[in-house]
Parts: sequence; C-alpha cells; structure tokens
Amino acid sequence: MSAGTIGPGALLAPWRRTPLATLGLYGHFVRLAFLKFLAYRLRYYTGVVSYTVFVAGHYYLYLALYAGRAAEGLPAQIGGLTVREMVTYVAVSWIGRSLYFNNISRDLARMVTEGEIAMHLIKPFHLQSVMMAEAVGEAGFRLLMFTLPIMVVVAPLFGVGAPVDAAALGWTLVSFTLSLVIYSQLGFLVGCLAFVMKNIQGVLRAQMVGMDFLTGVIVPFTFFPGWFQSVVAWLPFQCIGYVPVMIYLGKRQGADLAQGLLLQVGWALVLGVAARLVWRRATRRLTVQGG
Amino acid sequence: MEPLIRVEGLCKDYRLVDRREGVSGGLKDLVRPRRRLLRAVDDVSFTIEPGEMVGYIGANGAGKSTTIKMLTGILTPSAGTVEVGGLVPWRQRQQYTRHIGVVFGQRTQLWWDLAVVESFRLLKKIYEVDDATYERQMALFDELLETGKLLSQPVRKLSLGQRMRCDLAAALLHRPRVLFLDEPTIGLDVVAKENIRGFLRDIRQRDGVTVILTTHDLGDIEQLCRRVIIIDQGRVHFDGELADLRRRVGQTVSLSVELREPAGSDELAAATGALPVAWEAASGLRHVARFNRAEVRAAEVIRLVVNDRQVQDLHLAEQPIEHVVREIYRQAAAGGGA
Repeated sequence: MSAGTIGPGALLAPWRRTPLATLGLYGHFVRLAFLKFLAYRLRYYTGVVSYTVFVAGHYYLYLALYAGRAAEGLPAQIGGLTVREMVTYVAVSWIGRSLYFNNISRDLARMVTEGEIAMHLIKPFHLQSVMMAEAVGEAGFRLLMFTLPIMVVVAPLFGVGAPVDAAALGWTLVSFTLSLVIYSQLGFLVGCLAFVMKNIQGVLRAQMVGMDFLTGVIVPFTFFPGWFQSVVAWLPFQCIGYVPVMIYLGKRQGADLAQGLLLQVGWALVLGVAARLVWRRATRRLTVQGG
Repeated sequence: MEPLIRVEGLCKDYRLVDRREGVSGGLKDLVRPRRRLLRAVDDVSFTIEPGEMVGYIGANGAGKSTTIKMLTGILTPSAGTVEVGGLVPWRQRQQYTRHIGVVFGQRTQLWWDLAVVESFRLLKKIYEVDDATYERQMALFDELLETGKLLSQPVRKLSLGQRMRCDLAAALLHRPRVLFLDEPTIGLDVVAKENIRGFLRDIRQRDGVTVILTTHDLGDIEQLCRRVIIIDQGRVHFDGELADLRRRVGQTVSLSVELREPAGSDELAAATGALPVAWEAASGLRHVARFNRAEVRAAEVIRLVVNDRQVQDLHLAEQPIEHVVREIYRQAAAGGGA
C-alpha cells in the first residue's frame, strides 16, 4: 500500500512533498526534457548554420560601418565600442541567445488554447515549476549540442575577442544563467495571456521579434539615443541580452558588475512572482476549451 | 457509511465572451469584454460513498464534463461546494490530486514524445509510489491490461485502444481513492471496450476504489454501475439505482419472434387477443412485440404465439437503456423531472 493514500474513514490523508522529494521530482523533469531534446537533436544542426549566418551578416555590416568612419577620419569607436569589441558583442549575444532561448510562451499558449492544460491541473505539481525545470533541461541540451558547436564555429571565423579575464568569463556564465531564468519566466507570463486572448499568435510573433530587439541582440543599446536607453533600462529585456554581454566585454566591473547581476536577480524574482500570481488567478477562473 | 464525495448546490456559469478579432480586439476584450452568461451546471447535489461506482450520464453539453472538471479541481465552481474526503478540489489542488486518478478519453496524460515506461517512472516520482507498490501495480496492469509489451513504445505510436489501456494504468498507478473516468471507451471497438470494462470491475473489487464514470456508451453503465445520475441542461433529473430507473420509466420489454412461414403482424395481434401488446413487423419472418412487464407476463405472450403459429426462434430483451434515458429526458422536457 503506497504511503499516504489511504486515510482513516472517508478522509483523504494529508500529504506534503518533502523538499528533497521536490528537488528529486523537478530534477526528473530536467532529465526528461534533456532526453526529449536529445531525441530531436538533428533539428539543431541546421541551427548552427543559421546562427553563423546571422553573426556573419552583422560582422560584415559593422566592418563596413567602422571602415567608413575611419575613411572620414572619425573616431574608431561607436557607442564606446571598438570594431573588435563590436564583433565580439554580436557573436557573444548570439551565442548567449542560442543558450537561453526556448518556446515556453508558445508551448504554454498551445496547452491553454487546446485544453491540454487540464491534464496538468490534475497532477500534484506546479506547472510553472515543471516548465522551469524543463527549460533547464533544454538549456543543458542546448549548451552541449548547440551553443558549444556555434562557439567553435563562430569564434575563430570572426576573430571573437577573448574575455578580459577568467572572472569576467565566470560572471558572464552566471549572468547568462540568470538570462535563462528571466527569459523563461517572461515566456510563462506571455503564455498565460492565452487564458484571456482567443488569438495569441500575434502576441507570440511580436514577442519573437521584439525580444531580440529589446534584449540588445540585434543592435547594442549604445547605438541608441539617450532617452531610448533610459527607457530600456527600466525594462527586463536588457537583463537577458545586454547585461551579460557587457560583463563579457569587461564594460561592467566592480560595483557595476554587482549592480548588473542584482538587477538580473531582481527581475527574475519579480517576473517569477508575477507569473505565479497571474497563473493562480488564471486557473481560478479557468474555462477549459474543447469539452 | 460516511460519504466520500459531497456535492452541494454546485453551479458553473460560463462567461461566454463574444470576441472581437485580432490583437487590438483582444486588448479591447481585456478592457471591456462583451459577455453573456451560460449556466452549464445548475444546482447539482449528490453524495457518493466509498467504493461506489456511479454512472454520470447526459447528452452532449448536458454539463457532465463540467461537473467532472469541478470534481477534479480543474474548474472552480460559480457557486456551491464540493468536498472529497475533507478536501476542496480546486483549493487544495496539489494535496487533492495526490489521491485521485483521472482518465479523459479524448486526451492522454502520458508524455507524448517518451516511451510509455518513462511516463510511468515519472508518475512514480510525482505520486511518490514506493518501489514495491510500483512493481506490484505494474505486474497487475500487465496481467489485466497487457501493458507489459507496450512499455518500450513511444506513446504517439500506440493505437487508441493501447493508449487507453496505458492511460487507465497511469491513472491507477498510485492507487487513488477516487477514479474519474470521462468517456473511457470512446472510439474503441467492441473487444477493447469489453477489456476495459472487465478491468474496471476487477480493479474496483481489488482496491475498493470509488469510481465516477461519464459516458455516451450506455453499455458501460449497464455493465458497470448500479447507480446512475442523469443530468440534462445542467440539472440532475434522476439519481438512483439502475433498476429503479427502469421501473420508473416502465418495464417495457420486447419479444422478438421468428416464424417458419410468413404472416402479418395483425394476425399475431389477433393471436395475443385482449392482451395490451403492440406488434410490429421487423424483417422477413421476424416480428417484435412490445409490452409492459407489469401488465403482461412474457410467458403468457409466448404461450399464445406458440399455440397459434410455427415458431422458429424467440428472443426476449429488456428495453435498452438508451430508451430509458430518452424517456427521462422527455419527462424532464415536459416539466415532470425529478
């Protein structure tokens, strides 16, 4: 007889998962997600090519831009970045994106619109935590089978600069890990919109395009006018792309570094709590679609 | 005995939103939705004792799935209470779902991309099933549902019948106290249906699990449930034993007679004379007599027919439950409901 199932009389026995068991359970989800993506690894080989092409496009664009400025006798820096730093910025941004990217918003939205969410509500776990665990498993897979291959191809090809020191590299990794948390919580929050919107495809598409712009992957913020930079500073997106890359480039050190990481932790917490509240509210007034 | 499930005055209103289109429409809907109310479940009350197996039936859109979704904690009711073993499903969801098993015939709870056994291992973790129980349950499922040879296959490669067997096993792995089955035999062929029904009878005897079953297939009810609750347009119209249901609607039986030589139904009607029996020609040499068992004894009808004609074959059938339920609906529509 499994423990806790049969309570006295017609009462259901109280039950709570111990912290250790909780860790074990969500660890299991990490492992399963890793295995699932491993089964679909072939898909990612073409991804290495497309990421390389993205970086190549930016690479030649910036080379031309900097060369043009040099020809006119203008300073060899734009927005505080030399051409070599700029190339490194682009490459590290995309390499980071290959790690933290996932489809939580789309997956959650699909579960909600197709009513599959019901199958998760009848299980004794918290879907937000499950999806975060799966995001970690997916990131583990990405790191090994996607991000590393991209690094191996991109770094020598475009002469990507090494990190300023070992500490910067370490903090960059920490920072990109926080990017993953922020990106995933944000994705969960966006996915929750499917509870109130009949057609969420538009939002998902806007998220896809807008995110890469607002995270600073497409153009570094230092290119933008001051007012735009101060607006972006109040949004969580820069904590996903811009902050870790600036740490890598050594542009954030000491107090600046600590402030950047704290900002990331802050956003991770705020978005995590917000997503939990929205989820709670949404499931309390849930209408499951499809019978 | 103390009831395990208590449902009182349960209501669910769906706020149907007449949606505007597109993203901007969606945003407008966020601010000022155009709403109207639909009462899908209307003041439903019942109690269920431990170990009961209850059929919850109704037409499409009668409110049975909505009731099940409130009982399983998926939906929050608009009014009323549900208490199962002292827990409120939608409030104590994690605690509560630990004790229940759910099968929705139209969906699977197995992880689509994984081999079946991976889903079971995950469920073992989710429900904290100990090793010994896990082994015992898996052996039992293999014995009764022949799931053993399906374990290594990915879920997406299973046939509907195979998937349903695995889903049933998945719902029962942790030996839940209550099992909710929403259309468990939908889309299955006759043999697969029989297997599932046999399994449900077995498992109920072994574990004493309380079962609530919704179905379109009244065969499920006839073979599995002593008690039925009939719901229509969100309201309960009958709650009692299947036998009472038949009695209440009338015990119409049909006697099918196959003659050796052709004859008209009127000739047979003449043979049964003054008895209130309605004759009807079926196919070829077959005729069907319908009568109320309370008024006419079947033996008397048979005697009169056999004396009058050369009879090849006889078959006596209870009125199918479909007719019984339809009769309840008819009474309900006429305002004579419970």
